[in-house]
Amino acid sequence: MDDIQLKISNLNKVYDNGVHALKNVSFNVKKGEFLVVIGLSGSGKSTLLRCINHLHAPTSGQILFENRDITHLSSSEIRGLRKEIGMIFQHFNLIPRHSVLSNVLMGALGRTGTLNSIFKFFSESDRKRALECLNLVGIREKAAIRADQLSGGQQQRVAIARALLQGPKILLADEPVASLDPATCHSVMDYLRKINQELGITIVCNLHFLSLVRQYATRVIALRNGELVFEGSPQNIDESWFRKIYGESAKEVHIN
Amino acid sequence: MIKPSKKLNLRRYLLDASCFGFLILIAVFAIFQPSDEIWRNLSLIFGGLLAALLMGAAGSYLLEKLNVETLGSVIFPDRIQSLSALNKRFPRFWLVQLFLFLIVTFVVGAIKTKASFTELFDEDGFNGAVRLFAGLLSPNMDVLPKALVNIIETVFMAFMATALAIPFAFVLSFLCARNIMKHPAAFAVYMFLRTGLNITRSIEALIWAIIFSVWVGIGPFAGMMALMIHSIASLAKQYSEMVESISEGPIEGIQSTGANVLQTIWFAVVPQVILPYISFTVYRWDINVRMATIIGLVGGGGIGTMLIQYQGQAMWPEVGCIILVIAVVVWMMDQASAYIREALK
Ligand SMILES: Nc1ncnc2c1ncn2[C@@H]1O[C@H](COP(=O)(O)OP(=O)(O)OP(=O)(O)O)[C@@H](O)[C@H]1O
Ligand SMILES: [Mg+2]
Repeated sequence: MDDIQLKISNLNKVYDNGVHALKNVSFNVKKGEFLVVIGLSGSGKSTLLRCINHLHAPTSGQILFENRDITHLSSSEIRGLRKEIGMIFQHFNLIPRHSVLSNVLMGALGRTGTLNSIFKFFSESDRKRALECLNLVGIREKAAIRADQLSGGQQQRVAIARALLQGPKILLADEPVASLDPATCHSVMDYLRKINQELGITIVCNLHFLSLVRQYATRVIALRNGELVFEGSPQNIDESWFRKIYGESAKEVHIN
Repeated sequence: MIKPSKKLNLRRYLLDASCFGFLILIAVFAIFQPSDEIWRNLSLIFGGLLAALLMGAAGSYLLEKLNVETLGSVIFPDRIQSLSALNKRFPRFWLVQLFLFLIVTFVVGAIKTKASFTELFDEDGFNGAVRLFAGLLSPNMDVLPKALVNIIETVFMAFMATALAIPFAFVLSFLCARNIMKHPAAFAVYMFLRTGLNITRSIEALIWAIIFSVWVGIGPFAGMMALMIHSIASLAKQYSEMVESISEGPIEGIQSTGANVLQTIWFAVVPQVILPYISFTVYRWDINVRMATIIGLVGGGGIGTMLIQYQGQAMWPEVGCIILVIAVVVWMMDQASAYIREALK
């Protein structure tokens, strides 16, 4: 099937300390979808995303990315893979002392030589595209400001711009709005939806709040104790599924 | 009332036992006035210390049973005692204990350092001191050029020692950082280097200077080597603590763009550590200038060596000039390094 971008089969991850964080997880990600991963804290959501771009090495199973087996890679192959996969994080992970523009330009590190990048010789087209990416997330006027002087929401938008400059085919988002207030949170999610719909970039996103899931996800998977327990449309998560995913005593919290 | 904990309060016992044991030992010495012979008998010394400690601990235990407030129980309280439970016959026992301890310590200290008012106000000695101060206060500026040449030597000695220590310390800082050396084999290297550096650092620069003045001969080179060894150990420790405290976030952020190892270190690690590194280094240079002066006294060259020569001949006006030069330069270094470190914050 052509529209399957990422095919994950029987993926296991066992950490060095013996924690079995992912147990035989299998699912597909289709091109252009906005897939949301839900689950309790510690259920393995971050581990799943990190196995995809090899921030953690998968233990066993198989990951196919555009029909290419990426389960076990050498370090230079990992770098090649990461150029095609953007990632944003809960705590933005920008370089605080650098300017916004310089942070965005780091999205081009993968295709810039070591010395050139150290002396900030990025190509003219990369500089132009960096500004376009900033424009896309609505903070072009902040280009010259130091990254740590921006608000949380703005920093996350810089992180999105950095990932966009990579020209990724897929964007991993690990709880991108978990440290933002509700209003900012929606603005960041709206930008993610925008790049999903306008640029056609596939998004795999970990989220905590079901209300956000219903609003933004085109499809949902749920993890519980490292196992896949749900796969389907956000509308199908009813009361009984909710209990199954989050435990019997859980109550849904709304954030608007 | 809160239930008293059954756990043995070790710190309390240790403190009380040392305090009582010390007092017991002093009392024994005061009463029996043993001859110097006993210092040759190691087992007797350790046996005596142990016995005193045990007796102190026993005393402490007894006092606890009597509910007396000892110093140990005040400093390391282990349970909430209701006031009525405290022994009324010895209120504020710990205050008595504290004063007794302080007074005895001072008396013993005074005897041991041979403090003597007669010597302090002895006419001959006093007049000597007056001559010395008079000399210091009217410095002989004839030696100023020579002093300047020598202090420049000292400053450069400190500078070279610091500068040469930087690359070594920089490399060592990563090898001595726990968060970098996670792999078991790497951890062995980490432990080995860390222990080596700790030992190196615990040997004072002054001792290194004595070692090197024998090794490479008296002079600025010996002083420079001594300071360099000490600086490497000190800077490596401070640098590696910085590396240990960096946050992983930026590293993962840069890694996930497809950056290579050097790019990751340059963009994610260096920005986090560079300012503290510079700040530590400038401060180390500042410290090294002071240490270089002292090291000169034992043959490390520079202003210290010059100082000891004039001091040996009791040429106080010349010594006054040298001290003036040292004071001004150290003050300037101090100000400059404080200014730079403040600006880097
Ligand atoms: N680097 C690691 N080393 C060892 N164990 C880890 C590591 N990272 C995560 N774990 C463990 O793996 C399990 C899954 O963690 P993971 O971070 O993937 O959960 P999560 O769903 O992202 O949780 P959260 O919502 O808190 O971010 C947890 O039990 C966690 O303790
Ligand atoms: Mg997580």
